[in-house]
Amino acid sequence: MEMNTIKHKFFFRRFLILAFLLQSSIFNLQSSICQAQIKNVHGTVSDDMGELMGVSVCEIDGTGRIIEATTTDMNGNFSMHIRNAKDKLRFSYVGCKTQTLPIDREAYKIKMTSQTTIKEVTITSKKKLNGGGLAIPEREISYATQTIDMKEFEGLGLTTVDEALQGRIAGLDIVANSGNLGAGTSMRLRGASSISTLTNSNPLIVVNGNTWNVDMNNFDVTNANDEQFAQLLNVNPEDIASITVLKDAAATAIYGSQGANGVIEITTKRGSRGTPKLTYSLRLTGTYQPKGYEMLSGDDYTMLLKESYFNPQQDDGASDIRELNYDPTFSEYEQYNNNTDWVDAVTQWGLRQNHYLSVTGGGEKATFRISGGYDHETGSVIEQKQDRFSTRVALDYYVSERIKISTNFALTYTDTERNYDDLLSIAYKKMPNMSIYEQYPVGHPLQGQNTEKYYTMLQSAPSVFDGEQKSYVNPVASAKLAKFDDRTYDITPELELNYRLLGMDEDHHQLNWQGRVYMNIFNEYVDKFYPKELVTLSWNNGVNNANAASSKSVAFNTKQTLTFIPYFANKDHSLMAMGRFELTSGSSNGQSTDATKLPSGGIISPIGGGRVTGMSSNFSEWRSMYYTFSTHYAYKGRYMVDFSLRADGTTKFGPERQWGYFPAVSLRWNIIDEPWFQKLVGVNNDSEEQWISMLAIRPSWGRVGNQPNRDYLYESIYSSDTKYINMGGMKPENIRLTDLRWETTTTWDVGFDLGLLNDRITLQAEWYYSTRRDMLMENVSIPSSTGFPTLTYSNVGSMRNIGWELNLNTNKLIKIGKFFADVNFAFGNNKNEILTMDETVLKSLNSDFDYNNREVLQRVQLHNPFGAIYGFRYKGVYEYQYETFVDMSNEERLQFVAEGHTAPYVLSETGEIVVDDENKPVRMMYNYSHDATGKNYEFQGGDAIYEDINHDGQINSLDIVYLGSSLPKLTGGFGFTLNYGRWKLNSQFNYRVGNKILNIARLDTEAMSSNNNQSKAVNWRWRKEGNVTTIPRAMYGASTNYNTLVSDRFVEDGSFVRLNYLQLSYSFDQKTIKRILGVNRLSMYASANNLFVITKYKGVDPEVGYGGYGASVDGGQTPRAKSYTLGVTVDF
Amino acid sequence: MMTKINNSVKWLGAALLFTLHSSLFTSCSDFLQIEPREIIVLDKYWDEEADVEGVVAGCYSSMQTEAVISRMMVWGEFRSDNIVGGKNFENNIQIANVFKENINASNTYAKWGDFYNVINRCNTVLRYAPQVAERDPSYTQSKLAATIAEVSALRDLMYFYLIRTFRDVPYITEPYLDDNQKMDVEASSFDDILTALTEDLESVQSTAVKRYPVAQPYYQKGRITQDAIHAMLADMYLWKKDYQNCVRYADMIINEKLIEYENKIKNSQLSTLNSQLIDGFPLINDNMSTGNYYGNAFSEIFGTGNSSESIFELVFMNDDDMLANAAVNSFYGNATTFPGLVRPADFIGTDISDEAFTVFMSKNDTRFYENMQPVQGQSNTYGINKYTTSSAMVDLTKAEIQGSYGSTYTEGKNHSDWIIYRLTDVMLMKAEALVEMAPEGESEAERLQADTLLRQAFAIVNAINKRSNCSKETKDLDWDMFSSKSSMRALVLAERQRELMFEGKRWYDLVRRSQRDDNTSFLVGCVSRKGTSGATGAVSSKLSRMDAIYWPYHIDELKVNKNLKQNPAFGSGENSSIVKN
Repeated sequence: MEMNTIKHKFFFRRFLILAFLLQSSIFNLQSSICQAQIKNVHGTVSDDMGELMGVSVCEIDGTGRIIEATTTDMNGNFSMHIRNAKDKLRFSYVGCKTQTLPIDREAYKIKMTSQTTIKEVTITSKKKLNGGGLAIPEREISYATQTIDMKEFEGLGLTTVDEALQGRIAGLDIVANSGNLGAGTSMRLRGASSISTLTNSNPLIVVNGNTWNVDMNNFDVTNANDEQFAQLLNVNPEDIASITVLKDAAATAIYGSQGANGVIEITTKRGSRGTPKLTYSLRLTGTYQPKGYEMLSGDDYTMLLKESYFNPQQDDGASDIRELNYDPTFSEYEQYNNNTDWVDAVTQWGLRQNHYLSVTGGGEKATFRISGGYDHETGSVIEQKQDRFSTRVALDYYVSERIKISTNFALTYTDTERNYDDLLSIAYKKMPNMSIYEQYPVGHPLQGQNTEKYYTMLQSAPSVFDGEQKSYVNPVASAKLAKFDDRTYDITPELELNYRLLGMDEDHHQLNWQGRVYMNIFNEYVDKFYPKELVTLSWNNGVNNANAASSKSVAFNTKQTLTFIPYFANKDHSLMAMGRFELTSGSSNGQSTDATKLPSGGIISPIGGGRVTGMSSNFSEWRSMYYTFSTHYAYKGRYMVDFSLRADGTTKFGPERQWGYFPAVSLRWNIIDEPWFQKLVGVNNDSEEQWISMLAIRPSWGRVGNQPNRDYLYESIYSSDTKYINMGGMKPENIRLTDLRWETTTTWDVGFDLGLLNDRITLQAEWYYSTRRDMLMENVSIPSSTGFPTLTYSNVGSMRNIGWELNLNTNKLIKIGKFFADVNFAFGNNKNEILTMDETVLKSLNSDFDYNNREVLQRVQLHNPFGAIYGFRYKGVYEYQYETFVDMSNEERLQFVAEGHTAPYVLSETGEIVVDDENKPVRMMYNYSHDATGKNYEFQGGDAIYEDINHDGQINSLDIVYLGSSLPKLTGGFGFTLNYGRWKLNSQFNYRVGNKILNIARLDTEAMSSNNNQSKAVNWRWRKEGNVTTIPRAMYGASTNYNTLVSDRFVEDGSFVRLNYLQLSYSFDQKTIKRILGVNRLSMYASANNLFVITKYKGVDPEVGYGGYGASVDGGQTPRAKSYTLGVTVDF
Repeated sequence: MMTKINNSVKWLGAALLFTLHSSLFTSCSDFLQIEPREIIVLDKYWDEEADVEGVVAGCYSSMQTEAVISRMMVWGEFRSDNIVGGKNFENNIQIANVFKENINASNTYAKWGDFYNVINRCNTVLRYAPQVAERDPSYTQSKLAATIAEVSALRDLMYFYLIRTFRDVPYITEPYLDDNQKMDVEASSFDDILTALTEDLESVQSTAVKRYPVAQPYYQKGRITQDAIHAMLADMYLWKKDYQNCVRYADMIINEKLIEYENKIKNSQLSTLNSQLIDGFPLINDNMSTGNYYGNAFSEIFGTGNSSESIFELVFMNDDDMLANAAVNSFYGNATTFPGLVRPADFIGTDISDEAFTVFMSKNDTRFYENMQPVQGQSNTYGINKYTTSSAMVDLTKAEIQGSYGSTYTEGKNHSDWIIYRLTDVMLMKAEALVEMAPEGESEAERLQADTLLRQAFAIVNAINKRSNCSKETKDLDWDMFSSKSSMRALVLAERQRELMFEGKRWYDLVRRSQRDDNTSFLVGCVSRKGTSGATGAVSSKLSRMDAIYWPYHIDELKVNKNLKQNPAFGSGENSSIVKN
């Protein structure tokens, strides 16, 4: 308690000092002017052309605040009462230079001069980067960063920010999570860098200096993964002014532990002075699913299945399945004699319309920008629908020259109707001889025609369909009948007060205070319903299921920033310093209700009379506190030093380790400004054309941290357990983590900036070396003899990332008359390596091979990168049976082998046929062991051939080899812009080179071991002796064959080049438009997104997410849709 | 005017600064301390008696989970000759591998974490209960001593299961609280742990609760009593080959039950059905009033539960918000799926129809009809009836003796108690100890002593067997057939198989026998009777090794505990290395 009072006193004193400073500075201004009392002023205002009407005449006080104001009449006359003669008079008029005069007379005759005719203008403003930290001139930035001005995308048909960033930022790899509506993307800046965050190592998003403070950890919607980056969806790209990506630790250190994965700073547009400008834009986009695997028709499918059932047992009885027999006496005959293209049935052309309206304007005292957008979208998979309404209001009110109050308000509402089931993946598996709708049976007058009812496989169908075809819902029925509605509200109000406490310009000491309060409100409501028509279960087994869940989060954030910019008489020095204090506190709660056996017929709410099967609620709370200090010093604009220190306080660690400290130092040397260098290369600052306009080197060092995403880790928690008899049970919940430390990343970075031909070409290169220590890993296995299977978190090891990035941009590179062209390039490469890791953690990360089909091995090794793919080497299909080979004579065998024919024989290391005592060739086996614990499978004709690496006559784990890395050698993008007069052609590509993907999706469509539909490739399967093919025979059953072990058959090169977008736009001549239509601007464009992908990859989309420490696996997610957009933008 | 504006500006700034600074962070460290809601932290716990009772209840309810009881079943019985795979067991690779004796280190039933979870809860109570006694005056020293006896017994019971299953296991008696405690504890030997367990139980048995308040009718059988501890001690001494002590503790229980019985007679609380002693043992009569129907004892013990014969059972209340006996539900079956994942071995099912009598000594043994229920529509195929129905009746009025059965529990709603110890189990422990105590010397004194002991053992077996014999004529066993030590030994074990069938005991009986013989030939002989799918040869050769009758440590455990050495019968448990070319 005493501590509190002391703190109170401390802050109160601080406040007093501040107030004192404030008052004294104002007092000084007051005393400086002393004049005879003047009560009224009057006069006329004119310009070269004559008297001016509507000129604003204001009495302003020492702080620049307007006390009295009037405007001139038709004759340019004005008259007004003066409140204080110590104030000044200001005359301003659009297009003219503003004049400020002391009140020293009663009559004024003012002549306004046009702003444009002013000869002597010294432009002192430099382009500054203003994100969350200091506003540092671009030429003085010493850390690794890259900015994109959204003007480049003006009018471009982009729905989200990430689409705009794709391929533009070196080192930033963006992968779409899936093509479903409302699905976000994963971003990786400078490679995957930690174990704990591998699944969520997206960079921090900062919008107008504010971070997203809502903790969504405890709200688990089915598609949680898709939601991860949905927050980016909540910023309308049209509202964005610029995006800055902070890459190295020196840049992100001011975000401390939040910025460990890099930072994306987004600045939204604000109002500007002038007459209100109204802009409306409309985009119409058509989307469709790219063509996936060609699947078998119903006829091919049944033929395959018959074979697949026959082969393992060589018995016709096994393949006697009524659903495959086309037997008209079977009651369901009509339902199983079709050729249904399920994929076609669930896909469609989706349509998206985006309406966007913004108004900006403002006057002397206030500027504003109001925008609103409404989007409506139907998905490329049927029955997906999204409505989004977003609005943003930005208001700046200049109380005086010293005080500015700003407010931002943004609201986004989305209503997404999702599919309950993953329709596309079911469509690829569903048996194609089945009909979508129930068809009239044999004997009915309408035999074979569709009824209105969806068809679902009967529960009485043979048990071979259990667990797969029987449980696959009719995807069309699921789309139409099931409900999965997700609504979100995201509201972010903000109030900001800026106060210039000392000087107002660079000729005085400046001390600016900024106070900011920011709230983050995020509510989500999910309603689901699954009607009984979709399942053929009995009522008691639980049908008509519903779920309703909601979550509400509120976070409150305040930032107090003091910026000090001293004035140096010696202009060689410049210094800026900033201190900031930030607090965040937030809480969220959610609840969820499940119910089953709801009455049929319209009731879809869990409280609608069914049996409530589950009710849960949760609550969580979080707080954090940050201190940031940052300073920038420049000498002669040539030598720059930056230093920053951030202290993070968090509730995640115990009292001893609550605070993390993150320092950073960076330097910059503008070699270009050195006189000796200018002499050397023959340029000087005064000449108009410089062939080299920038050369700088930027070394930096910084440290950032990472914290776990759970609270109360340092406490032993007791929670309630099930009752015993009548005693309420309690249990210890965890082992408390007294030893948990911050994860820290230390990064060395060297950057180069090069500008050529007056900055027509700019090039940035970065090299970095970062080490992550005390890596946090979630749920680390411990001996269960402790009573607990895992520790919630543990610091498990360290890893290193080394990489480089290159970035090239041009500004009107080629200019011939009305034509000009630009290009941009970005490259990035990252290498990671595990330096140390707890031995037991390493062991539990490495999986053991269980000798099963489709089993993906994971192997993490010290001093090796993540993402290695392991498996067998695939060598085709045995052409002949073993028996055929055995029956041959020695000579025939030799010839057989020499001709390259294959049968399950064993060759020695030297290539000789291995025979047993009786001169019988040894047969190739799979996982042979004497005690029958192995699979002991004998390979046969038509089986897959795997390379016997160690020549021991059997295929086992010793034959597993490294098949490649999931990590790309190079990622990046390039684009070009061509302008001719009013025409503009814009394109952007992105690419990845040198990564391997394990295509499990293809494995599943070529496995032929289940009743799932297969791709047309299996039509080339091995059917009889002598067939030469790469597709093995059809064998029903998971353990009847070993044809789909993970092997290089399914490991594919994931390199690709994608044309992200291609856009042609035309803007009409302003004067003509104004005359004909009365609008200020009119532009139109057409664009195509994701037009083509050049790749050798056989899957639907090579853009597969990284698989954490394991292989990158294509499990067949919904690919990114292709789309065409037409758009128009009008300014009124 | 100016001052007015100045003032307002000043106050605006002041207001913002003040609200932001003073109201939000009264103190830095306080601000960063969040009091968890809905959960309780250690510092706020262990203050009063209710806190102790809560975690004690948590110890019991964690023992009731499917994870624990399913392992009591799998470990204690499924490898034995009683059980084979039931409906669709092939789809459950873990269970299928148990029946094929193809148990490896990645079998999920080799995971022991849930037992250690109970142990850790018990250890936590043992650590903190004394603290509560200091803080809460109503939590007296005697209550504390009773708590310590209760949770010690639960912990020791868990260890007893573990050592009978894995032989050597880590023996931990301290709770895990912090991440800096030693976790990779090496295994202690079977003998050391068993000694520690008996010593521990001896030290607490006198302070254990003898009788719970009558107002809590389920506590007496559902919680640890002195009787329960004595039963555990009798069992442990039997494994320890300390037969005197086994007999001593078994007698304590039998006497206690007799006193209980006599008290009830005095207060005439006993129904006429149960009012008889069988050869001096207070066993519930299986015969129903008319004499033509049997099944009374079965329904009392396994259907109703909390019977007078029970010593310790895990009570499942008939309450949908509480745990159901999920392990029985899925393994033994329910109204939807019957039989469950497992069923009785075929030779047991056909034992009477084939007149083989390898298990049951005659067709008059009611336990045959009570323990098993024929599967409808499949001849000679039985499901397990014990624990899956609330009652069974043996009907003698028909030409053939028939069972008739109460309705099978609906899926997910099995509320039958899981019995850990009951009177006949303890009686047969005593019989087994008596047999082993019988000297094998040729001297007259020794022969006389052996004869006395064996006759005592015989009396026990005979009483138990007679209780379940529905024959109208003679019901006693023929002493002459079992007068030798070896035949008596076989009789006791066979009676245990009949009496305790499907109660998770049989495999442990065979392991105990193997330990005593120091070879597995008897065990192999029994197991090969169920003759699973031609793999008998491989199974026999696998089980011929003493190490192989225990379980391997789970692979995940070996990965994180470098001090564990895998049971040599199961190799290192790890794959051969994968080469990187």
